Amino acid sequence: MWAGAAVTDEDRLDREETSRVLRRSLQFAAPYRRTIWWAIALVSIGAVCTVGGPVFVKLGLDQGINAQSAGTLNLAVVGYIATVVIGYVVGRMQYVAINRAGEGFLRDLRVTVFDRLQAQSMAFFDRNKTGVLVSRMTADVESMGELIQWGLLQFIAAGLLLVMTLILMTAMSWELTLVVVVFVAPILGVASVRFQRQSNLAYLDVRERVGQNLSNLQESFTGVRVIQAYAREEEQERRFHESNRALYRSHLHSVKVSTWYFGVVEWSGIVSIAIVVGVGGWLVHRGSVAFGTVAAFVLLLANLFDPVQQLSQLYNTVQSAAAALHKLYGLIDTVPDVAEHPKAVELPARGVLAAHHITFTYDGTERPALHDLSITVQPGERLALVGPTGAGKSTLAKLLSRLYDPTTGHITFDDIDLRLASLSSLRERVVVVPQEGFLFGGTIRDNIRIARSGATDTEVEAALNAIGVLERFAEFPDGLDTEVRERGSRLSAGERQLVSLARAALIDPAVLVLDEATSNLDPGTEAIVEKALERLMGGRTVIVVAHRLSTVRRADRIVVIDHARMVEAGTHEQLVALGGRYASLAEAWAKSQPAAEGAAGST
Amino acid sequence: MTAGVHDDGVSGWALLRRVLRDQRTGLLVGVGVGLLWSAGKVAVPKLTSLAVDHAVLGSGSLLFWTSSIAAMAVIAGVFLAWRRWFAFRESRLTEAVMRERLFHHVMHLHVAYHDRTQTGQLMSRASSDLMLIQAFVVMIPMTASNLLMVAAVVVVLVAQQPMLALVALAPLPFLNVMATRFSRRIHPAVVAVQAEQAQLATVVEEAVSGVRVLKGFGAESVTAARLRTEADDIRTVSLQAARVRSAFLPALDLLPNLGLIAVLAMGGHRVLNGSMTRGQMLEFMQYIGLLVFPLRSLGQTVAFGQRAAAALLRVNEVLSTEALVADPIVARHLPTGDRTGEVRFRHVRFGYDPAQHVLDDFDLHIEAGSSVAIVGVTGGGKSTVARVLVRFYDVDDGAITIDGIDVRDLPLRELRHAVSVVFEDTFLFHDSVAANIAFARQDASTTDIEAAARLAGAHDFVLALPQGYGTLLGERGYSLSGGQRQRVALARAILSNPRVLVLDDATSAVDPSKEHEIREAMATVMQGRTTIVIAHRPGTIALADTVVLLDGGRVAATGTHDELLATSQRYREVLAALSEPDEADDEADDESAGVH
Repeated sequence: MWAGAAVTDEDRLDREETSRVLRRSLQFAAPYRRTIWWAIALVSIGAVCTVGGPVFVKLGLDQGINAQSAGTLNLAVVGYIATVVIGYVVGRMQYVAINRAGEGFLRDLRVTVFDRLQAQSMAFFDRNKTGVLVSRMTADVESMGELIQWGLLQFIAAGLLLVMTLILMTAMSWELTLVVVVFVAPILGVASVRFQRQSNLAYLDVRERVGQNLSNLQESFTGVRVIQAYAREEEQERRFHESNRALYRSHLHSVKVSTWYFGVVEWSGIVSIAIVVGVGGWLVHRGSVAFGTVAAFVLLLANLFDPVQQLSQLYNTVQSAAAALHKLYGLIDTVPDVAEHPKAVELPARGVLAAHHITFTYDGTERPALHDLSITVQPGERLALVGPTGAGKSTLAKLLSRLYDPTTGHITFDDIDLRLASLSSLRERVVVVPQEGFLFGGTIRDNIRIARSGATDTEVEAALNAIGVLERFAEFPDGLDTEVRERGSRLSAGERQLVSLARAALIDPAVLVLDEATSNLDPGTEAIVEKALERLMGGRTVIVVAHRLSTVRRADRIVVIDHARMVEAGTHEQLVALGGRYASLAEAWAKSQPAAEGAAGST
Repeated sequence: MTAGVHDDGVSGWALLRRVLRDQRTGLLVGVGVGLLWSAGKVAVPKLTSLAVDHAVLGSGSLLFWTSSIAAMAVIAGVFLAWRRWFAFRESRLTEAVMRERLFHHVMHLHVAYHDRTQTGQLMSRASSDLMLIQAFVVMIPMTASNLLMVAAVVVVLVAQQPMLALVALAPLPFLNVMATRFSRRIHPAVVAVQAEQAQLATVVEEAVSGVRVLKGFGAESVTAARLRTEADDIRTVSLQAARVRSAFLPALDLLPNLGLIAVLAMGGHRVLNGSMTRGQMLEFMQYIGLLVFPLRSLGQTVAFGQRAAAALLRVNEVLSTEALVADPIVARHLPTGDRTGEVRFRHVRFGYDPAQHVLDDFDLHIEAGSSVAIVGVTGGGKSTVARVLVRFYDVDDGAITIDGIDVRDLPLRELRHAVSVVFEDTFLFHDSVAANIAFARQDASTTDIEAAARLAGAHDFVLALPQGYGTLLGERGYSLSGGQRQRVALARAILSNPRVLVLDDATSAVDPSKEHEIREAMATVMQGRTTIVIAHRPGTIALADTVVLLDGGRVAATGTHDELLATSQRYREVLAALSEPDEADDEADDESAGVH
């Protein structure tokens, strides 16, 4: 049953877009050109074989039976057998050929889109929601895959079959063909177009309501504890019932708009038999056609109606696949805005990191997140960035590591503009350790090796050793080869952070940019993470976005950022003595984190 | 009809039968119109054959025969549409009704069940499994008419030319067999493709979610290599699926042609020697064409039936799970009066795993209107106290009473209206802020809602949201920070105006500077209301009249905060352990929070 696809109006492509999609697809399919031609040849032969059967029946009836020639009849039988056998063999080859080309095309598409996606800048990932990006690589590619697996062959074959049958029928008797076409085509044509349009709308509605109903279900299942805690079961049920029944009605509507169409197709199929018998009979009486032609027509009619039905049902699938391709090509054509300079240079091992009058505005916002900020960080210096939430401290950290480029101004390492540095050397010199240790599927070792894919086992272990946590991971059931499971559910939050630190240690960078974690760790783990971090920071330039008094106090210099500007800079003592922004911040901290400070003091 | 799965699927089928019993009429009408369609359809080749012999090749009235074929066209067209309508209407109804049953049941299942069942599993019961069942129910009217059609055609053909019928029909049963086998073989292949696609989706999802890490280390090539592997795997399994198709689908086209060839060869010679008319020959050919679809579809019915049986079994498994926490058979009610809300835990013993007691001889008496702070180490059972009080779990031994009534004797609704728990991990629904606050009291006025929000310290930030109290929250709505969510949850509990209020670490994610404001408001809410506070910030603990140290599953010490500080070494230890990691700022992820 084909009801799997629907296109919204905004997805519908105009002629220019369609031809562009087609052109790009042909480019993409270039490596499979031979397979595609081969597939088209096979499909054509297959269609010829399908229409061939009734031709031999006609031959047998007219030249064999009517002419009382057993020999010709036998010849017709042999001919029929031959077409059927060829049709079968060709049929099998068709599937393989078309899928080989199609799946190859899809594979290349997936790889190209993904590579292009990864080449995009951080700003791109901020702009686009995770869900949307993932659905480009999944739903959109799969809607194309769906077409290739189920529909493409049928779509081409149905079109070919329709045309060939009409040609053959005209050749046998143009009068009879004309009558059938004149009677049936307008009705079937109008019905198919209306069906296609209505069922598309109905299906869009169904799809939306399925989505609503599912998220309703999901929400109630996930929130079942709250629902029970507040005795809201009945109200939730009432709401669910509403959306469930709306879905049911929407299903009924979609059946209603398609059902009459199937009736019309059935009716016109049989009516055309009546017409062929009636008009054909009259023509036989007049002697202008042979009986075999009438019989062949009756058998050929099926070749006319099946394709029309298939084409009208596949139409939406083809359209939505085209829309998906359009979006995918759009992504492929997006030029990354943080890219490597064509004449990129390697950064030296050590150097002064400096920002010169940088201003940065996030896409889609008007107020700059950083405004005319200049700062110089000496090699080996430990700098803490503090300030209220949203003041711009994380933004500064991101710019210093070139996850973004400043809107104006520039950042240099050893007097080399970061934009002129090769990305690989930049990533080796400046490493960002994110707040939370994000884990990928695979083993602990794989996860550390993310930082440097060429690292040997010894190097990975050395990195863990450098931050003093090798034993902790060696204790896992399979040691470093332990699978971390889904999103690292097997590792504690602290262990995930340690993996994150080990990655940085594996790179051995000159500059470390830390976004201090705000999440709660149990005290024991906290101490281990602190210790590992301290070892990692040794001898490096460190820029830390700080949330804790203890961290701030260990810094050589503190920079206070507020409302996108640097407002104060100096040591803890200097700034407290200054009695400004930092002094009040430190006071608030001291009040809300008394125990923490006590603990920090005692360790 | 599917002998193989019948044995283990009995209960599943019984479930379907019960649901279908209510839809008898619709299904019977569906079967009825289906049979009429078959009759009309079967008549066409017969009429064509008669027309050929009597009118085309004879001298009978062409118009008469043509009109009778056209009449059959109307019958077949109308009844086909009706059959489809009834088949789909009933099957969609079955699906909807079963989904509602499932929903109802799941909503009432005890929390322990939900603890060990993943939401995803329940979701697939309520979506993909019901779809499989729907796909089978839709086949019922179709299958009935298809069976009739096959039987009628066989009878008509055998009556005319037994030998020819036998030879021509011989290949056709294979259609059924092959369609069944195809359906059975393609299903795992399709599932394999989906599994590979899911793996690829995981790689993509990780690469996008973990983009900061990947960019930070320039590790794009690692994920790129993974993606290539997955893309190659998809291609491999897709081609395997294509091979299954290539092995069956062309053969399914081939089989009816074998029948046609037999008719042409054997029938042709019979016509030549006069033992058969040309009309009959055409009739045979038409009938063979007619049988293709019903036979294929019968094969599908078998395969769909097997899949539906498996789905029914899974759905039934959920439906037959008994709700362990349910309304009492003989219910008692809470007394009304001025001073209500007295809570008593009597020698309560409880463990999530019966062998491991979380609460062991836990004994606590809370006077009506007083407040108690429960302090204990993480994982020591503090939250469990709240959970057993509202009967998320029933105690293994001992009893809990509210105003002298055992909580197990109260209707669940009454109990849960009387006790409101604000949990640490707040869950908000995809609805407006106002509706989320009015969750437990939907008739609450705007004034009440705002008053509750004010008390919870939520009013100001709610007003600053794009649509104020009308702002949609939840998964697809505006995302609040952890602290903001907790304040909305607090307002939700305040508005429900319970006898007993339980705050289970309810302000853990609230910015310490903000918590200060809420604390005063909370003191107002707690005034004269029985309140259990589970907290670890000293300021919050101090709100309670008495403090209870929960250690080793029982009450280890009782007194005021200062008393315990002075007298209990263990209390000081626990407090120190608790406050150490708690330096939570507002969870907002700096400036990028608004973008994600």
